Amino acid sequence: MSIVEALTADLLARVYRHLSCETDRKAWRLVCKEFHRVDSVSRPSIRVLRVEFLDSLLRKYTRIESLDLSVCPRIDDGTVSILLSGAADLFTPAVWRVIPPRFDSVKWTGRLRRLVLSHSTGLRHSGLEQLVRACPMLESIDVSYSQGFGDREAAAVSLAVGLRELKMDKCLGLTDVGLAKIAVGCPRLEKLSLKWCLEIGDLGVDLLCKKCFSLKFLDLSYLKVTNDSLRSIAPLISLEVLSILGCSLVDDVGLQFLGDGCPSLRVIDVSRCDAVSSSGIISIIRGHDCLEQLKASFSLVEVTPSLVDSLKDLKALTSFRIDGARASDCSLQSFSKNFKNLSEIGLSKCTGVTDIGIIQLVSGSSNLRLLDLTCCHSITDAAVFSVSNSCRNLTCLKLESCSIITEKGLYYLGSFCLLLEELDLTDCSCINNTGLKYLSRCSKLRSLKLGLCMCISDQGLCHIASNCKNIYELDLYKCCSIGDEGLEALSSSCKRLKILNISYCTRITDKGLEYISKLEELSDLDMRGLVQVTCLGITALAAGCKRLANLDMKHCQSVNDSGFWALAHHSRNLRQVNLSYSNISDLGLCMMMGNLTRLQDAKLLHLSNVTVQGFELALRACCMRIKKVKLVTSLRYRLSREIIETLHSRGCKIRWD
Amino acid sequence: MEDLEMDDEETLCAETWLKPSSGNSIPQPNQPSFTNFTLPKDQPACEDPSLLDFGVRIGTSFSKYSLAPDHHGQSLQSNNSNRNQGNVNQQINEALQVGKAQDWDPPAMLNNLSFLEQKIHQLQGMVHIIGVRRGQILQQSDEIAMQQQQMITADLTSIIVQLISTAGSLLPLVKHNFAGPTDGATGQHNRQMSEILCNPGLGLNATNTGESHGRGGPNIPNQSNQAGPTGDTAHSHPLDERELKEEDDADEGENLPPGSYEILQLEKEEILAPHTHFCTICGKGFKRDANLRMHMRGHGDEYKTPEALAKPNKGNGSEAMLLKRYSCPFVGCKRNKDHKKFQPLKTILCVKNHYKRTHCDKSYICSRCNTKKFSVIADLKTHEKHCGKDKWLCSCGTTFSRKDKLFGHIALFQGHTPAIPLDESKGAEGLFEQGQATSGEKTKVAQSINFSFHTGSHNGSGVKNIMDVKGSIDDPCSYFSPINMNSFNEFSGAAFDDPDGGFSFFIPDSCNYDQKNDLDVVLQASEQ
Repeated sequence: MSIVEALTADLLARVYRHLSCETDRKAWRLVCKEFHRVDSVSRPSIRVLRVEFLDSLLRKYTRIESLDLSVCPRIDDGTVSILLSGAADLFTPAVWRVIPPRFDSVKWTGRLRRLVLSHSTGLRHSGLEQLVRACPMLESIDVSYSQGFGDREAAAVSLAVGLRELKMDKCLGLTDVGLAKIAVGCPRLEKLSLKWCLEIGDLGVDLLCKKCFSLKFLDLSYLKVTNDSLRSIAPLISLEVLSILGCSLVDDVGLQFLGDGCPSLRVIDVSRCDAVSSSGIISIIRGHDCLEQLKASFSLVEVTPSLVDSLKDLKALTSFRIDGARASDCSLQSFSKNFKNLSEIGLSKCTGVTDIGIIQLVSGSSNLRLLDLTCCHSITDAAVFSVSNSCRNLTCLKLESCSIITEKGLYYLGSFCLLLEELDLTDCSCINNTGLKYLSRCSKLRSLKLGLCMCISDQGLCHIASNCKNIYELDLYKCCSIGDEGLEALSSSCKRLKILNISYCTRITDKGLEYISKLEELSDLDMRGLVQVTCLGITALAAGCKRLANLDMKHCQSVNDSGFWALAHHSRNLRQVNLSYSNISDLGLCMMMGNLTRLQDAKLLHLSNVTVQGFELALRACCMRIKKVKLVTSLRYRLSREIIETLHSRGCKIRWD
Repeated sequence: MEDLEMDDEETLCAETWLKPSSGNSIPQPNQPSFTNFTLPKDQPACEDPSLLDFGVRIGTSFSKYSLAPDHHGQSLQSNNSNRNQGNVNQQINEALQVGKAQDWDPPAMLNNLSFLEQKIHQLQGMVHIIGVRRGQILQQSDEIAMQQQQMITADLTSIIVQLISTAGSLLPLVKHNFAGPTDGATGQHNRQMSEILCNPGLGLNATNTGESHGRGGPNIPNQSNQAGPTGDTAHSHPLDERELKEEDDADEGENLPPGSYEILQLEKEEILAPHTHFCTICGKGFKRDANLRMHMRGHGDEYKTPEALAKPNKGNGSEAMLLKRYSCPFVGCKRNKDHKKFQPLKTILCVKNHYKRTHCDKSYICSRCNTKKFSVIADLKTHEKHCGKDKWLCSCGTTFSRKDKLFGHIALFQGHTPAIPLDESKGAEGLFEQGQATSGEKTKVAQSINFSFHTGSHNGSGVKNIMDVKGSIDDPCSYFSPINMNSFNEFSGAAFDDPDGGFSFFIPDSCNYDQKNDLDVVLQASEQ
């Protein structure tokens, strides 16, 4: 008779809703049957790795509103039609067939609101059409980075009449015609992302703006649109967020249109628009005094006094990025006077930024949360002191390549900025172990980048490990003094670590990898050039880190085939792997490629022990699911035409290097 | 009557061209070219649609000439070139045809032509810009308009000169006709231009850069007439008497005060009659008075005097006469004089076209698409030259030659969407099938059950096989995922010629991974 019985399912469900992390939810599921049931009936979203289980999962989880198929190796039209057909029984494994499903399984399509199909390679218009027709409640679709997504597929998507959100980033086959289909078919569209859809032009955007009045979010980044598009966008009264990042054909005249229109605009991103100058930005500012975010990175040459003057009108501004511009001390000073609310400032790669400028900037901006000072080379500890002293709420600080910062700076950070979660110290070569000791007082630290900090060693890492238990991302790229002991400390306390980069930390041996293998949540491991690691280390890693999805072991020359066998055998969640310059043999490669059923991306350059036949074999073994493969160019004419054609026809992208 | 609209009267032109042989004022050297011109007339009607198409571009009267079979190469060539410049290129072509009997160098000609094409393209851009500007700036001073006009005129003149020099060696007739006016005043250039840019829908006419340009309609037949017997050039015909084909639209802007012109109304029968000018001697009918006058010469020397050949009204003091405007006999029509907002029609031709278009059955059906119908044959021919080439298709079935027109249409009409042509995806689909087929060939029959996932995944039967395998979990075949299994088997069989050897490097216990565990891993949450 435990507390569990005292709690009703309703209360349990409430508790369950507070679990934000996947591992916590997994632990919850394993408590008892009742908890498991609460998980089943409360879970709103699901992301599946293998489509075979999808149907049974959808039967089990009766509240699923969001379905993410982006990491399924292959979803194609046939799979979709099977999924949707009445023959869903075939999906149920034998064990479950005995138990009749409690809920009507066919109905899952009826409640689905969100569908993520990004990175799909096999889904064509017929499959999409079936899916969209079957799910009448669909409000959000993500088809970004889909290979072969063209106008027909867009036409299929446009059948979702109630669609509010659509993401089509880098759908290279999409043209104005497809966009027109969507514009006409989905008039309630509020959020649309067309980033990198290079075929879209002014005509399509114009029609979109004429048909979808309720657009609130529009991303046209990197499109070849001109001022005409902005003229069409200007009448959109609900538009709040507009991104025209990298639209090099847009200039100040276009921004003038925006300045006169779009009354609800709150966020605008005009970064990397080469033809835009500060006068264009001023014209936007004049029209919108409620602007909250203004991003003009790498568009401006200089922060002119007139720009700073006009910025004074923006009382609500919270985020301002002028990366790459020339920012003098006095311009930064006038910033601080005017923006008490500013929470995000980006000055990365700005020239002319000095300590004085930063001190003046932060003196007035006590609410600052994010400060990006990447490549502001002349920043010293004095600036870091005033940042930490004035901005106690700082959560993210980027100091990459601010190479004169020393342990003193970290001392100030560790003393004042206790809320710091993200810190980038890449290439701050003066950072040493003492510095890390001071820094370890920031116990909320989640992401720490120490790449190229040659002076730090295991001792420093131990300090961090002992206090910063929440770390999930750690970058130790080329920290040559880091060895196995550091990893031991790390693995014993930072159990949440997910992303780890230990490339070229050449002191690390098999023992280090054994420690790493204790990090159960590790999903990304970058271990290039670990020449001392052999098959033993890899075997331990493979056996321990079950969640490993992304592994880079380029130049790990001491690993022999048994290591790769272990990977093939245990690391069944691997999705991306880089095996370039390794000693893998024909058989090892075939094992890896054939056995890792979730592998989608493989880089296979300069494998000296693999014959052409071995490549052929390996590629054939994985051709059903692989999405991307990188090979040396010389193989192009030595591999059989048939396998290359098969890969292409299955939607696999081959990069020849 | 200076009604010089292109028409479909077959005999007219041939007659016009043939008659001069008996005339006294024809330059003799031209004689061979004339014969050339008329030869194709005896050819059977065109069999190649592209040729017909090409012919239509020039105008009916010329289409007959252009059908000469030995010009296939040229006409196709120009067909391939930019459509927008079609009319000019046709002109060049036409010029080439005249000189076909002489020696010429096709590569050099091609060179020249492509150069000209480029120049025309540039000019087109300029005219377009002017047109756009004009659309933006409503109040434009005449001075600027004049400057633009002159600029364009100058450019066009240079193009013409080059064109002539290109064609010169081949083309005694055209040379003869053009050499005179080329060095004349600007007005003469204008005339030349309007003579050369015969297609009303394109070139200068499209932008209406000026009154004389805008109305420089289909006047090639006119020029043919003049090139013939009189030996005169275009000078004798005032430009403002030439008519634009789409007269209905062209005179939209004319705001003559009521009473400042005389209203004439023809009866329906009169409008629909094929001919309006009849020979008093033999009774033969003509559409044009000018042609009748030409015809009359055959009836005796008294009709050959300059007075008889001159326009009857010419010199009668047009200032004394009221302008003539026409009314449509259809009551209730806006063009009918009793209508409240009466808008008169300028010429008889306009009346005819208007009446046929608006109040008559559309009896001409496009032979290609079998859907578009027209009541004016010239409209049909205009359509035919685009028919099939309109790649911008709306869901309502309307086709457009330009993308922006389609998008404008879609923006205007609720629920219309662009249609995607059917054959587009065939290629990719085919490749996909092919890929499956090639990988399928190597499969052994024994493994084909598993392999059916490959082939079946497309039509949906494949997943069934997965589940079959899953269902019988203790079957050795299900040690690996079926996908892996079949692809691997299939290949190892092919590569090693040893079906069992393919298995040897599988780790035996990699197969029995716990399904339930796997499920947990599979189940990755992403709370959004």
